[in-house]
Amino acid sequence: MAAVVAAAFLWPEPAKGFLGESSRIVFFHVPCAWTSSLAFVVAAAYSLAYLIRRNPWHDEVAHSAVRIGLLFGVLTLITGSLFASIMWGTWWNWDPRESSYLLLVFLYAAYLFLRAAIDDPERRARIAAAYALFGAVIMPFLVFVAPRVTASLHPQTVINPQGKILMDTPTRVVFFDALAAFSGLFLWMLSLDARAARAERRAKG
Amino acid sequence: MSEEKADSRTTAHGSRLTAHGSALSSVLAVAAKDATAELRRRTALVAVLFFAVTALALVSFAIGPFGLPADDRPPVQAALLWIILFFAAATGLPRAFAHEEETGTALALRKTLPAARVLAGKALFNFGLFLAIAAVTVPGFGVLLEASFGSPAGLAATVLAGGYGLAVVSTFLSALSARAGQRHVLFVLIAFPLLSPLLLTAISATVEALRGGFPGTALRVLIAYDGAATCAAYLLAAVAWEE
Repeated sequence: MAAVVAAAFLWPEPAKGFLGESSRIVFFHVPCAWTSSLAFVVAAAYSLAYLIRRNPWHDEVAHSAVRIGLLFGVLTLITGSLFASIMWGTWWNWDPRESSYLLLVFLYAAYLFLRAAIDDPERRARIAAAYALFGAVIMPFLVFVAPRVTASLHPQTVINPQGKILMDTPTRVVFFDALAAFSGLFLWMLSLDARAARAERRAKG
Repeated sequence: MSEEKADSRTTAHGSRLTAHGSALSSVLAVAAKDATAELRRRTALVAVLFFAVTALALVSFAIGPFGLPADDRPPVQAALLWIILFFAAATGLPRAFAHEEETGTALALRKTLPAARVLAGKALFNFGLFLAIAAVTVPGFGVLLEASFGSPAGLAATVLAGGYGLAVVSTFLSALSARAGQRHVLFVLIAFPLLSPLLLTAISATVEALRGGFPGTALRVLIAYDGAATCAAYLLAAVAWEE
């Protein structure tokens, strides 16, 4: 992770067409967005596992994945807002990509509200799993479809109509290393948080 | 008592629900039961229509037909129309399952029919309720805000596709939140993010329809959303409404 952060600032040249060093945000903003999406997919997978096996551990992992996914989702919004302030002169301009990601964060924040509103642990886990799976079906519409129905100012360096990754070699190397590093960080955090939840459940008996 | 009689329930509203009937007849029976109950009490219908008319009058009073330049009207009108439709729907649609829990009929319904059929029947009733809201709101919007419906077919298709998705997702979430605390507030909190792709696309389609074009792309997205939501709700219905 430290090597990725150092390389992000020292190795690739700033990309053309962007103000100053603002293009370096791609090494943090996109991995945060990727990691939050990965976390929500993991939450959906463990929610499905819970509904099949009814094992509380699967619910704990799903819950932890949503919490960590929300953390990375908020970081995505903050880093995107930083980029917007430099490139577009405003912290928030309701660009379709910005708005849809904000709604994605709301979608999974609602998962936590839903859990908090149900007292019975078994019912809470079951209802939360159903919501997480339903949310996973709707998520692609927020991430991939809705932002493309209307025009957007958001740069398209990774997912674009040409189907090519529009980056030079150093940028590409650091970018994919950052994706791997952030994914590893997520798995480590997930393991810690879910095991803490399991320990708490066992302590309560 | 024959087996069919033992497995069937005649509800307080006079509709006959049977586990042995075809899927379609069961779905229609649930929708008819809810419609009969609603026509007797008229709680949801009156509340929803009153909300829609009040919101329409407030919006009309606030911006009026000439409060905006002609070019700016379609986006603002489309957004306001769908905000009114969403909140009017949020006033009435979440009652689908909560009412069964409140009146103690949920257990009988669970024992009588598979959850997917109950969900489909209630979604059908909610779709009808949405169409009743739209039948008042959309023409009222046209008259009070002098909205020009450039493509009536495009607008009708958008309202139908948007309303269907709204009904299905609201019904599913009603099942999820039926036994949760603070369910009325909770419903809006969980419904808004899940319905936002539908609302954003419906607004985009309505803007195009108000300007006179047929919103083909946006309608395809709406239909895809409706299909995905229907499949997910069908597969998760039993889990959502399990005892």
